Amino acid sequence: MSAAESANAIQRNQVDLLDFIDWSGVECLNQSSSHSLSNALKQGYREDEGLNLESDADEQLLIYIPFTQVIKLHSIVVMGSEEDGPKTVKLFANREHMGFSNVSDFPPSDTAVLSPDNLKGKPVVLKYVKFQNVRSLTIFIEDNQSGSEITKVQKIALYGSTVETTDMKGLKKIEDH
Amino acid sequence: MVLEATMICIDNSEWMRNGDYAPSRFQAQADAVNLICGAKTQSNPENTVGVLTMAGKGVRVLVTPTSDLGKILACMHGLEIGGEMNLAAGIQVAQLALKHRQNKKQQQRIIVFAGSPVMHDKKALEMIGKKLKKNSVALDIVNFGEDDGGKTEKLEALLAAVNNNDTSHIVHVPAGPNALSDVLISTPIFTGDGEGGSGFAASAAAAAAGGVSGFEFGVDPNLDPELALALRVSMEEERARQEAAAKQAAEEASKEEKGGEEQDATMTERASEGASEADNKKIEIADDDDTSLQQALAMSMDEPTSSQDLQDTEMSDAAAEDPELALALQLSVQDSTKDSSSQADVSKLLADQSFVSSILASLPGVDPNDPSVKEVLASMQNQSEPQQKQDEDKAPKKEEEK
Repeated sequence: MSAAESANAIQRNQVDLLDFIDWSGVECLNQSSSHSLSNALKQGYREDEGLNLESDADEQLLIYIPFTQVIKLHSIVVMGSEEDGPKTVKLFANREHMGFSNVSDFPPSDTAVLSPDNLKGKPVVLKYVKFQNVRSLTIFIEDNQSGSEITKVQKIALYGSTVETTDMKGLKKIEDH
Repeated sequence: MVLEATMICIDNSEWMRNGDYAPSRFQAQADAVNLICGAKTQSNPENTVGVLTMAGKGVRVLVTPTSDLGKILACMHGLEIGGEMNLAAGIQVAQLALKHRQNKKQQQRIIVFAGSPVMHDKKALEMIGKKLKKNSVALDIVNFGEDDGGKTEKLEALLAAVNNNDTSHIVHVPAGPNALSDVLISTPIFTGDGEGGSGFAASAAAAAAGGVSGFEFGVDPNLDPELALALRVSMEEERARQEAAAKQAAEEASKEEKGGEEQDATMTERASEGASEADNKKIEIADDDDTSLQQALAMSMDEPTSSQDLQDTEMSDAAAEDPELALALQLSVQDSTKDSSSQADVSKLLADQSFVSSILASLPGVDPNDPSVKEVLASMQNQSEPQQKQDEDKAPKKEEEK
């Protein structure tokens, strides 16, 4: 399979991973209580431009998203305003319970510097090879476009595909013949 | 029931030698620490608590967050008092200890006992507060002991920087008769943000000052329905008893106004005596006293002629409790009714040689064989002789009643 074909194959298979997020384990450090992560992640809220995820004490945000099954992450979309939207975004795969103090302890799986185009909705393609076997994703928003005290994120969307895992719902009892 | 890891920062500086909190500031702190550990562990068995000291040679972690109460209590022994408290370093080390907790699902909380003056400036404290908020660490501050200029202000600023949705609290405990632990029991530090879920905290709160949680009686009916029900029932019973006592007091007051007769005075004396006894003997006897007393009062309001029966009732009540009292009452009652026959009974009693001598024998310092005593008795006997035969029947009856 040539590189171009494989790239196309990947493009065709990517789905919005919203359905595979394990909502009970989703956490966000330094979020403002009135503007929480749901405003950026959840269906409906993330489309609403008036509802944002905002940071609280300073401009950094640390978002932890576990998944219900193993996925491959292809690209992400981060939308926000031109001034307060995020700039440097670091992604860590399969690192549980990170804190602001250990973000610099190990290198991120990928780093994205968002341009104004990205903030309008253009997806950021990630290093696919680094995200082949992802159980949880940590998104570290390091700073924002204008350097202001509060970072505002309107939407975060993840695109990728699932690894072939057993669908428990599809299991059927063997009929006695 | 929040799953929480707590670090308690103790102030063991020189200022803790002071005795304005009984028995000493340091001891009061130790008691409070014990209580907090118990409350946290009871509200959720997976909660962990750790302890560190802020003064002395430097900040020292005595025990990392653990659910083993014994370890925590043991580490409080043999602590030395000295040095100066370093609040900033203490909080930062506590944060570090919490970061390395074993169960990452636990919420992080720091409880600081700030007894000595705070050396840091407000800015530094606000920075620390912001850092705690960013890492979603809650902070409880117990402000006691020294109160120099600015300490309260600084701690309030620290709390404002940390506080996120009222998860952090500050408590100011002035020196006074109440122990530090008792004051803390009723605060959100113990009851955990007004959940009212912990039975330990609820019972302690009820015993001490009265719980501050949102629920009546400090117990959540969902979490502990039997306890909540029991508390409610006992509260109603207490209220009913107090109402009955109040009603009775009102009745007595109205009787006193109407009366003015010695008889009524005696009745009220008896009633008030009964009331005071009821207070001592709790609720079970109160009902009996109420009914008999009310009976007595009702009868006294009716006919003086029926007073004889009344006196008998009274006698039996009194006799059950105090024979000497019965005698005194009988004498006073009989005087007031001016019943000639009862008057005779009194003198008859006195005339009765054996009875009088037995009484005199019980009196200290009186010897019945003393000639002067015998003389008096003889003279009394002579006076009552004419009536002796007439009252012979009544004598044995009265004897029995004694």
